Amino acid sequence: MSVISLEFFKLRHKRLFLMVTLLISVEIAWAFISVGMSISRNPGMVGWKDIIMTLASMNSLFLPIIAAVVVSRICDMEHKGNTWKLLLSACVKRSHIYAAKYICACLLLFYAGILQVLASVLFGAANAFEQPLPFSLLMRFLGGTMVTNIVVISLQQWVSLAVKNQSFALCLGMIGAFIGMTADLFPSVVRSLFVWSYYTGLCPVTYSYTGHSTVFAIRTIETSVTAVIVFIGALVYVVGSIRVSRQEI
Amino acid sequence: MHRIVSTHSLSKRYGNVYAVNEVNLTVYEGDVYGFLGPNGAGKSTTLKMLLGLVQPTGGKAIILGKEFYKNRRVILGQTGALIESPSYYGHLTGIENMRVMQRLRNVADKNIGEALKIVRLEDQKDKKVAQYSLGMKQRLGIAMALLAFPKLLILDEPTNGLDPSGIGEIRELIKALPHKYGITVLLSSHLLSEIEQIATSVGIINDGKLLFQGSMEQLQSKSQPHIFIKTQDNKVAERLLIGRGFSPVINGKYLTFQGLQDVEVAQTNRMLVNAGIDVIRLEKRKKNLESIFLELTGRERSLS
Repeated sequence: MSVISLEFFKLRHKRLFLMVTLLISVEIAWAFISVGMSISRNPGMVGWKDIIMTLASMNSLFLPIIAAVVVSRICDMEHKGNTWKLLLSACVKRSHIYAAKYICACLLLFYAGILQVLASVLFGAANAFEQPLPFSLLMRFLGGTMVTNIVVISLQQWVSLAVKNQSFALCLGMIGAFIGMTADLFPSVVRSLFVWSYYTGLCPVTYSYTGHSTVFAIRTIETSVTAVIVFIGALVYVVGSIRVSRQEI
Repeated sequence: MHRIVSTHSLSKRYGNVYAVNEVNLTVYEGDVYGFLGPNGAGKSTTLKMLLGLVQPTGGKAIILGKEFYKNRRVILGQTGALIESPSYYGHLTGIENMRVMQRLRNVADKNIGEALKIVRLEDQKDKKVAQYSLGMKQRLGIAMALLAFPKLLILDEPTNGLDPSGIGEIRELIKALPHKYGITVLLSSHLLSEIEQIATSVGIINDGKLLFQGSMEQLQSKSQPHIFIKTQDNKVAERLLIGRGFSPVINGKYLTFQGLQDVEVAQTNRMLVNAGIDVIRLEKRKKNLESIFLELTGRERSLS
């Protein structure tokens, strides 16, 4: 616990919360403008499902980049300041620092998810949606986003800590965003191989095209799929932590 | 005297190359131990092994009376270190960097003020470290190492990059640590002059091997004057003088004698002349520490 609070202490002056807030606000604004246009074209036809699906699609583009930037900022300070030897000679285990940074990044991305949920609630209330607030659906959306986030973060953190030059990590984030954005165009087998595709893949709302319109539908995500994704995230985390811990200083 | 650090055949091998080869280091309580050697000699690797930053491939280290790898946490809790370049968080202020160390070391607030005062950084503590000069960063590094007022302080090239006044300041600070705070200091340097002015004990390492270890007095005793005599026939002269109870050693074109008094020099000269051996040169030479160091580490290598 003290290592986690130390990580947050070390993030002082980095304005990470502000950066996450600004980036996620751009995404939310973009999504709501899109949904707002649908409302004006089809009054009474647009609801919570539209918001959730639009946000999930936008997450595929924004969250890999936000995750890459957040993780890079959290990890880069150790490379820049040459602080590994300082931390290790103070008898802090590298695996503990790895875990603290991971939790820190997860909390920041969780904060981004909470902002999305709160903004959705406000948007729904402002547009006087007929359907009641779908609390369970919003929580499942948040859960699916976070499950994908934990895998993306574990991958980003491994790269950010293993390679000093953060351009690699940021490039990975951009590649992830591109794959995430275009994943729905791939065959399902190919799509399932890319972790960034699960922002929409684990979303409780799906869509299909019927004629000239898009129909949104609620679906149940199989627990086994979520379990496999969590397992992959845990595997990447453990391997990354071991590899980084074994690096010579 | 109580041993603070002792290593036994401590080794580190990278592939087939030994960075540190069976080093037996002994640092006594209250010492300022100067670990001297050219660049790439194995100083930093040895110090890193003493801090658990590098895993040795052989041997063991006993620090503060305990085997290091079995008592790492306890030992590191009583050890402060500054290895190579200073470590810091540039986006944080000096005091915030100290607070990071305070949380890691779990020490009282007053230690921060005291450590900053020792390195004279109290007035700069609210400035971001990225804006510090190299000397200030180095001093902050020392303050962070001193924060818990450890029993053992390990400093790797602490005056690197400092200007002459900064070097003088750090030197005085290090010299004062043992008697003022009871801290034993183990510091490395490739500068003989620096070690000569600070250290009470010296270890000289080259190519991973410890070539000399002892007090500064012992090292200085190696610089006792030698008498060099060049004769017409050194071999005959050597036989003659050995027969008369002297201990000459043939050294190139010279016969060399250690610890010869003035009367004995005159006597030697007389004996050779009386025996019909012409004395061509008779010189008194005194080695300075630098030539001793170069002799130990190999003349072909540069000091810096």
